[in-house]
Amino acid sequence: MLEPILFTLFSIIAIVFAFNVIFRRNAVHCALHLVGVLLALSGMFVLLNAAFIAVIQILIYAGAIMVLFLFVVMLLNVKGDAALLTPGGWKGFGFFFALIIFVELLYVVLSQGGTEGTPAQTTALPPGFGSPAEIGRILYTTWLFPFEVTSILLLIAVIGAVVLAKRKFA
Amino acid sequence: MPGWTVPLEAYQLVAALLFTIGLIGVLVRRSALIIFMSIELMLNAVNLSFVTFSKQHGQMDGQIFVFFVMSVAAAEVAVGLAILVAIFRSRETANVDDVHLLKG
Repeated sequence: MLEPILFTLFSIIAIVFAFNVIFRRNAVHCALHLVGVLLALSGMFVLLNAAFIAVIQILIYAGAIMVLFLFVVMLLNVKGDAALLTPGGWKGFGFFFALIIFVELLYVVLSQGGTEGTPAQTTALPPGFGSPAEIGRILYTTWLFPFEVTSILLLIAVIGAVVLAKRKFA
Repeated sequence: MPGWTVPLEAYQLVAALLFTIGLIGVLVRRSALIIFMSIELMLNAVNLSFVTFSKQHGQMDGQIFVFFVMSVAAAEVAVGLAILVAIFRSRETANVDDVHLLKG
């Protein structure tokens, strides 16, 4: 009985805060509303038997990445008087194409086009589903090579960020 | 109604809606910072979709993929924000319409 209530709550929070992210004028407000979206999504992950992912979501996204965002927003001190939205007809194009994408996604979800041959909803999940132990076991066996590639990607990102930050501009 | 659960399509609908909102943000906002935040929003919508599929199939590979999406997002944010700071230092702007030349 609790799941529908929590789902409704989290989805309303996520969607309302998401609209605030893209339509607020102050970038700090946008970043803080994005934190709200991330927390609501974390709650949804718990409802979907992914407790470990939910914790990681809060630690990495709402913690590390958003701190980086807020840091840069406050460092740049962008003036809020610039044009909020892209001018003229391009704005209409943006909304129009977003609407097209949404209708397509709606069609895929409601027609279950991507889920042929799979059960509509697995009733009995395997034991330990979503636990850190299971995630670690799969991550370091089946997904070991992508995991190592990810470490190289992060190394490249660190080097790139340092190089970009140290370069002198005339 | 005991035992009534939310259909997994509802989660997919929320994911689709969040993705669309993020897409609107990318297309209509002019501040590069807000565009970055909208991209994060879209990545998170996809993460929600992955976790939902993971439960639907009873396999945890979807949750592993969320891991990879998060690490790629972290790398992207680090490099992207560094580029943004570099642009702001040389141009004094974060508006993407003011930065439309490859040559500095």
